[in-house]
Amino acid sequence: MKKTPALKNSVKRLIVPTLLLCLSFNVFSQQNEIVVTGKVSSDSAVLQFATIQLKGDSKRAVNTDQSGNYTLKVPASGTLVFSMVGYEQQEVPINGRSTVNVLMKSANNTLSDVVIVGFGGTQKKASAVSSITTVNVKDLKGPTANLTNTLAGRIPGMISFQRSGEPGLGTDNSAFYIRGLSTFGTGKQDPLILIDGVESSTTDLARLQPDDISDFSVLKDAAAASVYGARGANGVVLVNTRTGKDGPAKFYFRVENRVSTNTKNFRLADNITYMTLANEAALTRSPLAIQPYSQNKIEHTRAGDDPYLYPNNNWIKQLIKKHTVNQSYNMNITGGTSRARYFIAATYNQDNGVLKVDPVNNFNSNIKLKNYSIRTNINLNLTNTTEMIIRMYGQFDDYNGPVGGGTKTFNNALWSNQVMFPAVYPQSKLPYIEHPLFGSAQTVNAGGLTSTLYMNPYAEMVKGYTVYKTSNIQPQIELKQNLNFITPGLNFRTMGYLRRYSYYSVDRSYNPFYYSAVIDPTTMNYSLQALNDGGPTSLGTTGTEYLGYAESGKIVDSRFWLEGSMAYNHTFDKHTVGGSLIAVVSNYETGNAGSVTASLPQRNQTFSGRFTYGYDNRYLAEFDFGYNGTERFAKNKRFGFFPSAGIGYRISNEKFFAPLRKIIDDLKFRATYGLVGNDQIGNINDRFFYLSNVNLNDATFGTSFGRNDGVSTYYRNGVSISRYANDDITWEQSRSLNLGMDLKMFRDFTLTVDVYKQWRSRILQPKSSIESAAGFAAIPSSNYGKAETQGIDLAANYQHSFSKDAWINLRGTFTYATSKVKVTDEIKYQAGIAYLSKVSHSISQAWGLVAERLFIDQKEVANSPVQYGDNTLLGGDIKYKDVSGDGVINDDDMVPLGNPQQPEIIYGFGTSVGFKRFDFSFYFQGSARSSFFINPSNIQPFYLNAGYQNNLLQVIADNHWSEDNRNMYALWPRLSTGRVNPNNVNSSWWMRNGDFLRLKSVDMGYTIPNIKALRLKGTRVYLSATNLFMISSFKLWDVEMGGNGLNYPVQSVYSLGAQLNF
Amino acid sequence: MNRKNLLAPNNNYLQMKNSIKKWQNSSLYSGILLLVMAGCVSSCKKYLDVVPDNVSTIDNVFKLRVEAEKYLFTCYSYLPKNGDGWYNAALTAADEIWYPQNDQTHWHPAFRIALGQQTAANPYFNEWQGNLKGNNGTYNYLEIWNAVRNCNILLENIQDMSKVPDITPAERSRWIGEGLFLKAYYHYYMLRMYGPIPIINKNIPVDAELASSYVKRAPVDECVNAISGWLDSAAVLLPERIINQNTELGRVTKPIALAVKARLLVMAASPLFNGNPDYANFKDKDGVALFNPVVDENKWVKARDAAKAAVESAEMNGFFLYKYTNDVYGLSDTTKKQLNIRNAVTQRWGPECVWGLAQSYFVNENLCMPPTERGTNSNHDQLRGVFAPPMKMVKLFYTSNGVPIEEDKTLSFNNYEQLKTATVADRFNIEPGFVTARINFDREPRFYADLGFDGGIWYMKDGNASGSDAGTFYLKAKNSQSAGFGNFQNWSETGYFIKKLVSWESTTRGTSAPVWRQYPWPEVRLADLYLLYAEAENEVTGGSALAISYLDKIRERAGLKGVVASWTDYSNNPSKYTSKAGLRAIIHRERTIEMMFEGQRLWDLKRWKEAADELNKVISGWSILGSTDNSYYKERFIYSQQFIAPRDYFWPIGNYDTRRNPGLVENPGW
Repeated sequence: MKKTPALKNSVKRLIVPTLLLCLSFNVFSQQNEIVVTGKVSSDSAVLQFATIQLKGDSKRAVNTDQSGNYTLKVPASGTLVFSMVGYEQQEVPINGRSTVNVLMKSANNTLSDVVIVGFGGTQKKASAVSSITTVNVKDLKGPTANLTNTLAGRIPGMISFQRSGEPGLGTDNSAFYIRGLSTFGTGKQDPLILIDGVESSTTDLARLQPDDISDFSVLKDAAAASVYGARGANGVVLVNTRTGKDGPAKFYFRVENRVSTNTKNFRLADNITYMTLANEAALTRSPLAIQPYSQNKIEHTRAGDDPYLYPNNNWIKQLIKKHTVNQSYNMNITGGTSRARYFIAATYNQDNGVLKVDPVNNFNSNIKLKNYSIRTNINLNLTNTTEMIIRMYGQFDDYNGPVGGGTKTFNNALWSNQVMFPAVYPQSKLPYIEHPLFGSAQTVNAGGLTSTLYMNPYAEMVKGYTVYKTSNIQPQIELKQNLNFITPGLNFRTMGYLRRYSYYSVDRSYNPFYYSAVIDPTTMNYSLQALNDGGPTSLGTTGTEYLGYAESGKIVDSRFWLEGSMAYNHTFDKHTVGGSLIAVVSNYETGNAGSVTASLPQRNQTFSGRFTYGYDNRYLAEFDFGYNGTERFAKNKRFGFFPSAGIGYRISNEKFFAPLRKIIDDLKFRATYGLVGNDQIGNINDRFFYLSNVNLNDATFGTSFGRNDGVSTYYRNGVSISRYANDDITWEQSRSLNLGMDLKMFRDFTLTVDVYKQWRSRILQPKSSIESAAGFAAIPSSNYGKAETQGIDLAANYQHSFSKDAWINLRGTFTYATSKVKVTDEIKYQAGIAYLSKVSHSISQAWGLVAERLFIDQKEVANSPVQYGDNTLLGGDIKYKDVSGDGVINDDDMVPLGNPQQPEIIYGFGTSVGFKRFDFSFYFQGSARSSFFINPSNIQPFYLNAGYQNNLLQVIADNHWSEDNRNMYALWPRLSTGRVNPNNVNSSWWMRNGDFLRLKSVDMGYTIPNIKALRLKGTRVYLSATNLFMISSFKLWDVEMGGNGLNYPVQSVYSLGAQLNF
Repeated sequence: MNRKNLLAPNNNYLQMKNSIKKWQNSSLYSGILLLVMAGCVSSCKKYLDVVPDNVSTIDNVFKLRVEAEKYLFTCYSYLPKNGDGWYNAALTAADEIWYPQNDQTHWHPAFRIALGQQTAANPYFNEWQGNLKGNNGTYNYLEIWNAVRNCNILLENIQDMSKVPDITPAERSRWIGEGLFLKAYYHYYMLRMYGPIPIINKNIPVDAELASSYVKRAPVDECVNAISGWLDSAAVLLPERIINQNTELGRVTKPIALAVKARLLVMAASPLFNGNPDYANFKDKDGVALFNPVVDENKWVKARDAAKAAVESAEMNGFFLYKYTNDVYGLSDTTKKQLNIRNAVTQRWGPECVWGLAQSYFVNENLCMPPTERGTNSNHDQLRGVFAPPMKMVKLFYTSNGVPIEEDKTLSFNNYEQLKTATVADRFNIEPGFVTARINFDREPRFYADLGFDGGIWYMKDGNASGSDAGTFYLKAKNSQSAGFGNFQNWSETGYFIKKLVSWESTTRGTSAPVWRQYPWPEVRLADLYLLYAEAENEVTGGSALAISYLDKIRERAGLKGVVASWTDYSNNPSKYTSKAGLRAIIHRERTIEMMFEGQRLWDLKRWKEAADELNKVISGWSILGSTDNSYYKERFIYSQQFIAPRDYFWPIGNYDTRRNPGLVENPGW
């Protein structure tokens, strides 16, 4: 075996270090040697572990101690190279001095030359071969209390979208997927999130403050994620919080005031139109129908007569405020000595809803979400080589909001009648009554009064409030041991944490009293009649003046994690060698699992490793593996081995590249290939696949016998099987190939491109191709689903300083991720209906009927295929295409429609400019290649469902099929008061384009000159805004919400803030 | 070597010494942790072994009698809940009961079949898949094929003498009999719905290859033979009658097994299954004919013998036709006759109830009864009264002379809409002084026992304080009246209501919620067996006097004269009963009237092949929006039913299964 000289050296050095050192002294002893000492510091602290090396001789190198001091014997005429991760490298000629102190400048973009690879490890970006995106934390700052809403368009390789703007527990989180949705299993689909190594939820990430983050990276390919083999298949998001820097205490304080408003409200038609069209809806289906609204009522409403006799509500205006004001405060203190450093941060955020509050109540039913967090990160140098880090994090939510949540209020606004009752009658009508006099009336169906009352959305909103509280406590200890004394570059690290989470929620609400106006025909005055006072004619739930109480969910869970790693990194001549071995055990339990099997702990055991090799910073290679165990599978299937490998070629370091180096500063090509696993497959309550699940006391299958007269019957529960044992179920697996390129040109421009393909296999799926006559109580599942994803991630950045005072930054990202189902749980569709197959379509593809147009008349209906067996259709109902050609329209005629439901393209671009003390930036974010469906039953006007009666959207009033406007392409089909089910089927009629481009954020700031007297330095005041405007072909609601348009809308936020440092 | 060289190693040695000291200090921490980690790795396998050994699995079931009994009860639990409209397709899939036309949200899936909306793509009341039935029509459990699988598991285990060691031999054989019966019944139930079905005598293993798990439909004769074979085996193992009635009533007995066998064989002899030319070419994918191509008259002989055996076994075990006796309320004869008829169905475990479904009490009394006059409960959510018999059912009842209204030569119903005022003589049927239509007058007792209508008396035990039938409940059913149209979703679409299924002992008078006297659904009544016997006997011997004698038992209880007397005296076709076809028509009508609203008509119309005629007629009722006598009593068109023959005679198996199993042929027309 041929060894390279350096390797031979190192081996020798390990064996006979003394001899080797003697030799080296021999070589240099001929020159004029001096001993140089000095101190290395940054502008705020002394720097430990900075590397000082004699230029041209890698063997003459030392690290600074914990006080930043170093001593090195070097030739007097030599040059010292000072380097440290995160700082700009400096070369300082010695010129015979015996003391060389150096102030290191932090690198412009701290993280541009190092990437976080997980388990406490870092890697020089120049030598990384895997696909890891490092996010500039500054980009994640925005006027929102929810960090997940700043991610879209900022991170190449992340598909992200926000469907609702309601403050609450996860309600306004953006959904995000690394490289899109790549599995269709029922298990975990979103990435693993690790905050300081702590496995965290999306809401944990949402609550994180950008001020507290030191680095944020996203691991996308197999090589990066395979050490996280158990959970890494869907990508990994790694976030680390800041650590203290030694020096005197530095205070940072940021305060922000935000004005938040709905990006868009749906528009309701005026009530005259509403009543006129309600009459039309009744008559157009059945000419003899009784008109719901008399001409008299319409005329009086039009004339604006007494609003209590002729109610004329606009629920959106009456329920929803124009805007709301929120605050957030974030502060941190950092400082310390060479032996102990601390970072302490505290945050208070308040997010209010846009719902109105009734002054009659002595409680507030608007949404008010307060979250507090406190974080202390303390680094202690126990010895010169041992560092201990203690992190404590507590995060707490206090929520108050309407019963049922904010989205329900928006839904109710569209689902309630505006003309049958006022929101509330004036208290003066019945002065002796203290409760609010909510309006309602008996619903009318087919001309007859019913015993159901109309739902009053105002009463529903203000009748009570929900309170929920969460606590999340995370103590964490990490220990780092430098093992340089065994061999330089060897480190041991261990970290453990506990995480205890709790949540509870209670509702307090009264049952509203409803009143309706009774007109005295002689005076035309009205008096109030109680509708639900509990008397003989009382209807519906009797009102209460006092609050009732209901408990909802409670969650208590606990997670334990312990990891240890041994790492070795060293450079010999041109060879850079690195390796780490990692072992992890984790345990998760929940206190309200609901069953024995669900309550058993969820455990993982991981043994993983990473080995890197670089030659001359030109040729790079990496091998990673994860060997992971999980409690879910049969004994012989519990462990999965997930290896990956990668190579890199930094062509810009080749000699032949020299002529190009004037233009191209750096160019690297990368390729990785490997496997990652996922054990979170299937339903969590169904995780022991190797055991059958039998309920020996199932009341569904219980039976009783006996006379049942005077004596009770003889009853026995039954037996049910919910799972058949299957020993073969094992890991879902992702195999992926990533090809990447990193380019730096003209010193200022960087471009990173990654293209990838991923093959997902062993997706757990039921075998529903088994026919019913087999009689299985539960369909057996197995790992046979397969999917493929591919795409491209692109990030470009241009950074230029024109002078000391003026700089510009242009940046953009582009993510394209497309998926394809390869094998899935479905039957073999015969020729003619093969289009029903999900295979080779996107995972989030939707199927629907092809709507041709609206029927012209009943004659055409009679001559067309029957649609869903409904023979009552008329002209103006939707006419579908009989794709299967069988003469009837049913689910067999559903074809893949439009683009996938989740966008395939997410992009963003923006600019920041600075001039002297001013800075300004804006960012656009876009989404493309997605479709969504309006749910017509949600917005079908006039439909009466118990007390709910759908309102009328302006667009429907303006554009529907009617006898006078026989527009075969009108937005809305022929009106109806009842459901016309075939019209409500998923079809191209209701499909819309989800593409949009929005001005995601604008930010301008001014940095105030340092004020010595107040010890203020670097104070910045700023104005920023998010979601200012959007370009989209869809106008009904904020298109990013997709089909959930009646939810609490996405918010536009304008904020004014200040950052103070002292 | 010079001195410098000698010094260097010393320095180095000192450094090393220092390092080792440091290492000794710091390694304390890491050493402990390394130990912890090593410990974890060594207990590797145990760490992931989180499941305790005694988690319940299927093996635990047949270890002891007390658990095995649960498995037996599980097999029973799949019995169709025929006392619940959500589970009994026959109640609303034909033409006996109509729903409010405008309120689709509460339609049973079976009712959509009556509306002609059945599809193969997603069949309504899909028993093959266990879908689109049950509460709100969406439940997906109690699948019949799953029941069959459970019966086979029960039989396999209980027939294994080493299992369930603590059971007595007598009980073991009874359980085997019950398992066989239930397996047979579930197959019979599917045969009735789907025609030829696969015979699942042995379970398909869980880990079977897909291809070997595919089943095939067996020819009708094979199905019938297999089922009747299982029933024969069951009959000898089952008890004659239930001894311990407090804990076992409802479990199957020998008379029940024989009754089901009678139904099976009568069905197999009937025209739908016996030499039906419509299905002469219906073959499976291998070309095997699934129906016998020519009529086999011998099947009627077998059917007659089976019906005779069922009747004899039931009578021998003490069953007889119910009659209301021991009156303490001083009821009129008219009311007593009505109670004879009503209580035959609604009396818990009455003398006529050969098979009462202990696991399915009738739960739809609130759908039958509307608010009444003289009652104080006007709440339409509690007294919903939405089960509406169409006018055609109203017309089917005999006249008071015991013959069809179109045959009666003394009473004319040509102007049946004509208004007529009730007199005191009518007082136990119609409120005196009330104006109602001709068709509600001069009808047989079963008309008044079965139906509620505008002006009709609705006798209940709590109809007044004394329980007497004078001055008791009656209905006002015009628009906005107590039993009339006007509620949000609860009204009778036709103006008629089902009194027959409401127990007279339910309390509905007060303002509080009614207390329904629910009763085990009478799955097999003795009257039903008499009618089956009469029917089969007439098919074997046309115009049989024996057949007429069994009809007369039923007519006598219903307060009517015998067939011979009634037809001779009042029919314009007096010799009708003398021919096979004539008597067949009489038997069919008698059966329809006697068993009305009990979920038999759908299956009878199908096996008689009369559905194509009967279910292609118009559904009509009174003009319920009318609020005056004149506007209300106009027959109003409601719906035009469509029954496509032969397609609609059998349920579609559905695309779900025919697409999965390449060997499974769909029923013709679907």
